[in-house]
Amino acid sequence: MPIVGANGLAFHVTELGAGPAVVMAHGLLIGTLASWYFTAAPALARAHRVRLYDLRGHGLSDKPKTGYDLATMSADLGALTADLDRFDLVGHSWGALVALRFAIDHPERVGRLAIVEAPLPPSRFADEQKLFASTPDEMIDALPPALRDAVAGGRRQAGKLLASLKFLAYESSLLADLRATGDFLDEDLAKIRAKTLLLYGSRSSCRGAGDRLATMIPDASLQILDGGHYLHLDAKDAISAALEAHLA
Amino acid sequence: MNEEILKTVEQLIGEIAGEELLLAHPIEMTTSFNADLELESIEFVALAEKLQQRYGERIDFVGWISNKSLDDIIALTVGDLVRFIESCRS
Repeated sequence: MPIVGANGLAFHVTELGAGPAVVMAHGLLIGTLASWYFTAAPALARAHRVRLYDLRGHGLSDKPKTGYDLATMSADLGALTADLDRFDLVGHSWGALVALRFAIDHPERVGRLAIVEAPLPPSRFADEQKLFASTPDEMIDALPPALRDAVAGGRRQAGKLLASLKFLAYESSLLADLRATGDFLDEDLAKIRAKTLLLYGSRSSCRGAGDRLATMIPDASLQILDGGHYLHLDAKDAISAALEAHLA
Repeated sequence: MNEEILKTVEQLIGEIAGEELLLAHPIEMTTSFNADLELESIEFVALAEKLQQRYGERIDFVGWISNKSLDDIIALTVGDLVRFIESCRS
């Protein structure tokens, strides 16, 4: 497996396809680079060099107890893309917030930006996360339906997923980091120069964030797709087509 | 040819998910990655990476799954994968 050292940790990174570079960041907790690998990444890889990585604490990357704030995770992204001059950037959920932070701090590095289901303010994510429920059964109940069904029949997958969730929720600083994350400033959002696509789900509780970003980011367009927060699972073909068109 | 690929897939699954999984679930062509082996999606990615490393760029795993629905991917069997690798090598 391709393992890359960055920020003092070992990260699992994989690349698909060839062409202009696109970097994709997944969401927290149940996300891994597989979230993109089995959904939108293969379509983008037809015309792009697509780089996927497991966020710290997720998938096959190292699992430190700290550093789940946007500044540190944006620095992870910077370290893992140090060899690329400029690239397009796609993120889902917390991964989309990491992408926003990176685009604000490093405008010269980002070509086009695609923000999928970024929650605002960021701290809201922690309060709404039913995955931080107190019992394993409640955690399972809070999973998106496709995953819940897959887990329901499989003790091995369920056990491994729950072990990962418990580490992140109870043994790492993730929850405290999320709660301590301040909101993005309008003046920072107004500084984003990248042409930005905002993708939100018709049934998502995050939709209000899409409206705000569409107003504040100068060159942004908002598209509502049929689905909930896990849009890559609910609307795989639609999200793939929207990203292909935006990054073409 | 098929046998050799099947053995390789079995060996790599053991490396990724642990030998005890192979003891519980002997790998056959009809074995399902999700329903039988209960592999996590990130483990399936790791398997694809190791196969690419083993067989080289001719194995366009991502091209292969790009036209599949999530349901099709979830239903994949060891046999589907072995036949795909064989088709890339011939």
